[in-house]
Amino acid sequence: MTTLRTSTLRLFERLRDERADDDGRFVVAPASLDEAAALMTVAASEGLAVAFLGGGTHSNIGNPVTADLVVTTSNMASIIDWQPDDLTVVVGAGMTVDDLEATLAERRQTAVLPETAPGATIGGVIATGVSGYRRLRYGPTRDRVLRVEMATGYGKAITGGSLVVKSSTGYGVQRLVTGSLGSLGLIGTVALKLWSRPISTATVPVTDAAGALATAYRPLAVLETEDGARCYLGGTEEEVASQTAELASDGSAGLSWPEPIGEPIRLSVRVPPHDVGETVALIREMDPTRWIAQHGVGIVTVGFERLETDLFGDLRSWAVSRRGSTVVLDGAELIGDGVDPWGHAPAAIEIQRRIKVSFDPASICNPGILPGGL
Amino acid sequence: MAWVTDFAPTTVELNACIDCGLCLPVCPTFGVTGDESASPRGRIAAMRAVDRRLVEVDERFAEVMGLCLQCRACEVACPSLVQFGRLMEGARAEVAAQLPDWRTVATRTVFGRAIASRSAVVLLSWVVGAVQRMHLASVLPGSAAKATALRTIPLPVPTTAGHEWLPEGEPIGTVGFLAGCVMDQWYSDVHTAVIQVLRTAGYRVVAPKNQTCCGALAAHEGAAYDAAKMAAQNVEAFDGFDLVVVDSAGCSAHMKGYGHWADGGDDLASRIIDANELIATLLDADLLPHIEGDTPIAVQDPCHLRHAQGIAEEPREILRAAGYSPVETDPAGTCCGAAGAYQLDHPEMSAILGMAKSTQVRATGLNLVASANPGCEMQLKAHLDSGTVVAHPIELYWDALRSR
Amino acid sequence: MHVANSCADAGRSGSEVFTLPHDRRGDDPGRYDVTMDPTVELIDLLGASRVHTHPVDRIIYAKDSGVTAGDPAVIVLPDTTEEVAAVVRIASRAGIPIVARGAGTGLAGGAVPAPGSIVIVLTRLNAIEEVDEIGRTAWVGPGVVNLDLSRALADRGLHFAPDPASQQSSTIGGNVGTNAGGPHCLAEGTTAAHILGVEMVTADGDVVIVGGEAPDEPGYDLRGLIVGSEGTLGIVTRVLVRLIQNPPDVVTMLLVFENIHQAAQTVSDIVATGLVPAALEMMDQPMIVAVENFMHAGLPTDAGAVLIAEVVGHPAGTVVEAALIEEIGRRNDAREIRTAADDDERALLWKGRKNAFGSIAQSAPDYYLSDTVVPRTRFVDVLDEIYAIAERDGLRLMNVFHAGDGNFHPLVTFDASEPGMSEKVINAAHDMVHAAVAAGGTLSGEHGIGLEKRDLMHLVFTPEDLDAQARIRDAFDPEGSLNPGKILPAGARLTEERDA
Repeated sequence: MTTLRTSTLRLFERLRDERADDDGRFVVAPASLDEAAALMTVAASEGLAVAFLGGGTHSNIGNPVTADLVVTTSNMASIIDWQPDDLTVVVGAGMTVDDLEATLAERRQTAVLPETAPGATIGGVIATGVSGYRRLRYGPTRDRVLRVEMATGYGKAITGGSLVVKSSTGYGVQRLVTGSLGSLGLIGTVALKLWSRPISTATVPVTDAAGALATAYRPLAVLETEDGARCYLGGTEEEVASQTAELASDGSAGLSWPEPIGEPIRLSVRVPPHDVGETVALIREMDPTRWIAQHGVGIVTVGFERLETDLFGDLRSWAVSRRGSTVVLDGAELIGDGVDPWGHAPAAIEIQRRIKVSFDPASICNPGILPGGL
Repeated sequence: MAWVTDFAPTTVELNACIDCGLCLPVCPTFGVTGDESASPRGRIAAMRAVDRRLVEVDERFAEVMGLCLQCRACEVACPSLVQFGRLMEGARAEVAAQLPDWRTVATRTVFGRAIASRSAVVLLSWVVGAVQRMHLASVLPGSAAKATALRTIPLPVPTTAGHEWLPEGEPIGTVGFLAGCVMDQWYSDVHTAVIQVLRTAGYRVVAPKNQTCCGALAAHEGAAYDAAKMAAQNVEAFDGFDLVVVDSAGCSAHMKGYGHWADGGDDLASRIIDANELIATLLDADLLPHIEGDTPIAVQDPCHLRHAQGIAEEPREILRAAGYSPVETDPAGTCCGAAGAYQLDHPEMSAILGMAKSTQVRATGLNLVASANPGCEMQLKAHLDSGTVVAHPIELYWDALRSR
Repeated sequence: MHVANSCADAGRSGSEVFTLPHDRRGDDPGRYDVTMDPTVELIDLLGASRVHTHPVDRIIYAKDSGVTAGDPAVIVLPDTTEEVAAVVRIASRAGIPIVARGAGTGLAGGAVPAPGSIVIVLTRLNAIEEVDEIGRTAWVGPGVVNLDLSRALADRGLHFAPDPASQQSSTIGGNVGTNAGGPHCLAEGTTAAHILGVEMVTADGDVVIVGGEAPDEPGYDLRGLIVGSEGTLGIVTRVLVRLIQNPPDVVTMLLVFENIHQAAQTVSDIVATGLVPAALEMMDQPMIVAVENFMHAGLPTDAGAVLIAEVVGHPAGTVVEAALIEEIGRRNDAREIRTAADDDERALLWKGRKNAFGSIAQSAPDYYLSDTVVPRTRFVDVLDEIYAIAERDGLRLMNVFHAGDGNFHPLVTFDASEPGMSEKVINAAHDMVHAAVAAGGTLSGEHGIGLEKRDLMHLVFTPEDLDAQARIRDAFDPEGSLNPGKILPAGARLTEERDA
């Protein structure tokens, strides 16, 4: 790293994240979007690569990034505006999913955030664009992001979207930012659309996942794992009881989600929902330690202790042949040297590049983390 | 130059349209082309452009107006109650006045002049009747070959004008009867059925001699001055009748709009009743018997009954009373593409719509179709297999009644 | 604010041509000095019957359902994606802007053609293909009519959830362009949540597919940007729609109130219980009277407000939810609660609601319609302000709302031939938008920005926000040839900073 200007060092020192481990990099925790924007301006002028850190639970996703500066959201970690009667909440990106959901639960509400590891932050979830199991019923996380406030790679604080549940006002910047993995800037606050938690829920074992998907009326999820298939229901008590009976099964109250997959190699296989059955069959032959298939959604998450490069290649080719993808969530280097976690460059790569360049002209925000070198 | 006739669409009439576009999906020509210029809203935009003197009444304007079937399905869809049929007749009158030599001049002359003359229609009917008997239709060119879809014209050609029919007992009332132009000779069976059914119900039926063609075809083709003359003649001819029965959908629809065409037209219009309406009412009042039966029959709705007059249930009621079980073919009631002279001016569009309609009828698997309009009947026959029978609901009712 | 469906002569006649804002790129009319007439090439490509250049056609295609008129040079009606791409390449070589159009039912002027532009009409791309009943998706042409899609899928037990009032005419492509809403978007979200992928022709004339049946395509979510972009980012030629299971049971209720506050409180109380009905629609008294005069839907014309509430789902759930809504209604002094006994009664209730605007057209020669959204809890406050503004100016106001979403459609009926009346109405309507924005609301819930609200964007976005949006637009369309002059106001690009 070249020598930094004194003013830069002073800024970094002032915003230093006291809670972060000192691993030789600058770790800073801005407390406002304006501070974050100022940091981005300085980083751009100094040519420093910046990584963004929330809970660190998704930090292995994407191409590895060597950052000179780490910006954490730990100083933007509270609920800013919760309007239970509007079914909206505005929250600092650094707040954890667990804390937010626990608070929302006091009014029997939920942001339908994914079932993440402890410590995962809202900012991290939005940046990775990951959705939870209840996506089948409530749609992906991106559908609930109403507004984001962010500091762009060119050092400006901007707002995308509107704090209302329905808007057709300008370009969907909030949709662009969701899933952009910090490659456009730092997400400071997020406004989310809320749902009420169902009065009653049940986890119902079923023998045929595809059959349950066809039979049940809008279940929360239909998951299949190495331990069998389950249909997850939500609604009034009467509704859950009758739907359980219609599935010709006995359920247990509450939602018992599968244990998270903690294997060193974790893949997300994404295929059209009608190909999930075939994909599961293929994956079983690969003898994974764990797998969770989301029927009706098209995602199969797989955990391996070890995985042959060739077998991995076959799985990826299969998904691509279905116009899907196989993304390595963890342990790309364990599969083989130079394994690309994404697989291939996205469609309309020219447009994608121009978006990256216009939001991050100095290429300092998680440079290269996305497919296609974005 | 803007408008030159008294029939032109007025600014107020044109501004009733709020451009909402709810008419687009029901417009048959928009359905085929997807082209705004082939939609009611687009046609109104074109009329407004002339009204505002932004464009001339030129060939393209004539083309845009000419593609309209005048089926008036848009009027039903319109929440602003725009009188589109009337606007289109006005626009066509302008085309006729400003582009006298444009390509519809032939049909305009036929439907504006010749048709008003009983002798001309009789002469033509003789010719067609003779051709039919010589089985020459196959050598006729193009659309004239459709003559095969015509009913065989009785020779000598009949006429109802100047006649009256009495019921068996004391009449419960007298109704005037429109003989019409081609109906009189070409669809005399329908006339007979209607008159006999009305007699059965106890009506005296009078077809005054001095009546003429209703003028609908003339109005549709832009022969507005001729149409106005015919309307005036009929206003006089039907003076004194409390009720005037009309058994062709195109004629009854047009005469209900006589207010636009002649002094005293409003008054006659208020006394016009379509034969389907009257006979359905008589069935409701038990003045006519219901005949048992449930023979399935496909039903086709003439646009000028269903869209222009809101008469859809009545023909079905008559069919049920005749011992049939109506089977729906088209929930939207889209035009079959016959549309009077349209099949001559726009054979391609007419054929596309005719095919679509025949496909709907074939989907029922039935070879018996009820249609309450001669133009539709011809179009259906032209596009259906030769084994398919197309008949008027009242004809079927009369057949059932007399063979009881 | 936009003026919709006004009878103002200018709008009707196509003489009120919008002018493009002068800006750094794309929006400078000077760029469109057409030196190369593309007509010959276009006719070679499509045939004369699918290329219009006559003045009467240019007027026919000059506007949508809004009031502003543009002035296209050429109108083309392609049949395939390849033809669309070829048209875009011809236009691009000639330096002519392109405006995509569906059924032209938009109210914000999104399809109003820029001067000298080529209008690409997409109605003929209307095939419903590849319906996937397991994945509950379908690839459809942008020209497929919204209601036709749900009708075509009825026997498979599926439907497309967004149901704008224009659904019998408006196309899926148009719904994508405006991120259309509708009553049932309360529970299901607007169009953005129902589009999984699009095939589109880029500004360069390339054909790309973004998104798809497989979830979470790596890379930026371009799909999410395309939705609501009003044809400024690409020409959508196929759409992958998400389909929703038809509910096994539907309960539609009409709740009748003495005043609008009771109705509004009922909405708040329902939402506060956590219940999200399929729809919560409200009409105030003037609107009830207008609708009833036209529709004869059996609405009580002496009521202060009515609420249409619909719950859908499993019968064991709907019965409980309907009872809850009824209880809340009673608690708020609903004087009558009617439940539709069958599909016909339900259809009648909805017909009244969905034809509301048309009914208005008969009560006065002109009307001025707005579309704003406020946070639900500010709904009553803003409503009072809107009424106060109308009263202040002596205007006749009626309201129909997507109450559950906080989405207003205040409607002023007037006669534009009265001197000064149009100005007064526009002024009042602007004040209403300001009231909504001041309460934390935004400009449009479902109609889009188009031309009509373009110059109000600064009310809700900072210059930096607008600049960011301009960057996105320029990434898709560096030359500024796709539907120029829409969405972003003049000066949206902070040029000096970008060039620095």
